[in-house]
Amino acid sequence: MDGLDRDLFERIRDRVAIVGIGHLPFAKNIGRPIADTAIEAIQLALADAGLTAEDVDGLSMYEMEATQEVTIARRLGVRDLRWWDKVAYGGGAGAATIMHAAAAIACGLASVVVCHRARNRGAKSSRPWAQERGIAQGDKSLYLPWGLIRPVDIVGLYAHRHMHVYGTKREHFGNVAIAARKHAQQNPYAMMRGRPLDMETYLGGRVISYPLTLYDCCLETDGALACVVTSAERARDLRQRAVLVHSVAQASGPNPVHLVNFNNTPDAEMTAAFCARLLWQRSLLKPADIDCAQIYDAFTPLVIMGLEDYGFCKKGEGGPFTENGRIEIGGELPVLTSGGGLSEAYVHGFNLILEGVRQIRGTAWNQVPNCQAVLVTGASPVATSAMILRAP
Amino acid sequence: MGFARGTRWVNAEGALHPDYPLPDLDDPVMRPFWSAAREGKLVFQRDRCAGIVHWPPKPHYWAGGELEWFEATGLGRVFSFVVAHEPFLPAFQHLLPLILAIVETDEGPRLVSYLVDCPAETVRFGMRVEVVFKRLTSEVVLPLWRPLRDETQDL
Repeated sequence: MDGLDRDLFERIRDRVAIVGIGHLPFAKNIGRPIADTAIEAIQLALADAGLTAEDVDGLSMYEMEATQEVTIARRLGVRDLRWWDKVAYGGGAGAATIMHAAAAIACGLASVVVCHRARNRGAKSSRPWAQERGIAQGDKSLYLPWGLIRPVDIVGLYAHRHMHVYGTKREHFGNVAIAARKHAQQNPYAMMRGRPLDMETYLGGRVISYPLTLYDCCLETDGALACVVTSAERARDLRQRAVLVHSVAQASGPNPVHLVNFNNTPDAEMTAAFCARLLWQRSLLKPADIDCAQIYDAFTPLVIMGLEDYGFCKKGEGGPFTENGRIEIGGELPVLTSGGGLSEAYVHGFNLILEGVRQIRGTAWNQVPNCQAVLVTGASPVATSAMILRAP
Repeated sequence: MGFARGTRWVNAEGALHPDYPLPDLDDPVMRPFWSAAREGKLVFQRDRCAGIVHWPPKPHYWAGGELEWFEATGLGRVFSFVVAHEPFLPAFQHLLPLILAIVETDEGPRLVSYLVDCPAETVRFGMRVEVVFKRLTSEVVLPLWRPLRDETQDL
């Protein structure tokens, strides 16, 4: 990274904070449209921050959400919306919604930005891949005509290769599923609370895309979540302990294809590898300073590859890293401490952001003692984003 | 370019499903690929000067060099694969369990495809495969891959 980038990033680093969070109870069928649930989640986040709709002047959301910003602003009661943004690439967008808000705040384009994700995906008919009809256009023409579109197959191709090259075992994927499920047992909102998982059950799971089975896959959930972002300076006067945005990055890699990215580099690195380099270059911390990691977990292998790409272990060592409870609460690096997409709710990773905030505040259901820094990442088979949250 | 081989066509399984996701033949960047496939040829694009093979291909007004399309050997290796089970796209239901694969071609590009003439339990990483072609419509032919049986073809 050149010096200019580092200097510019100082305008953002630790100068913007997440000051409020809120979400509705997750459900298989929430029974209301997302344009409705989004507003209520945002109201909860504003109440948590001690702010009102009249304080809001910016909105940042996922592009995979059809609701218009002006509709949200009107129904919420925003007096004069002056900055808004939608970030593409589904689960790659999570940290980027915060990054764009942080940039807008640091540049004076907005002062209080609400970032949110509302998604109704519990119904089987709502699976994006099952909606595919007609001509495969754009990047999709590179894979959809052969029937490759289910995320489980795409991640399965990365995972199977990882098993072949590095000797990663299904038990390693199982360690991720079991850790997430264990953490979910303490979370009153987790969809999988009351349904613990052991290795025998994991290994007996129904094959969806060999070598991946049912328990390697995230849930399908209806949910609505939001957080409020403002300057660290203003955060000092607000109700909650501020959670600082320490470092944040987006990355696609050099030859990106949406979803199916095997030609990105000779080693077929995932976008997380590029995002991690930028994230750490912009940070004053290093992987050893991270107290817990919320690594995007649409499928268990993404967590193992994420542990490697974000620098907690060497390439190929992500599988063994999960052994001996290392990624469970009380371990060296707890991951998915709320249950994640695997066991809390699958809402394109926005729950991972809220859990990062709770850990820094010290209010998590599986609280890491004296948690000072948390990594939150986005989906790695697509153009992605990640951030480091830290205590003030 | 290329070299003679036995038949490289595989039969379609009957009528195409109405929801089959056919490729967009109007995309000017991909058009040479699909046009060649219709003739039973696998083609890639390279930089005439640097010899770099671009995949996915670049637009003809690419500023990085001089582009040309060339016929590939049609040989590659299994880079990775999965065996897909239900639930799946209706248009592919009759093919399940489907061996979805990334094939690393001898020229470098890693292509998405599925394997044919090949029981799932016999697939190996690094296995030699050759391209075959399946006609989906009068306009669309899909390159697929099967195990390379006659090793003397592996030049």
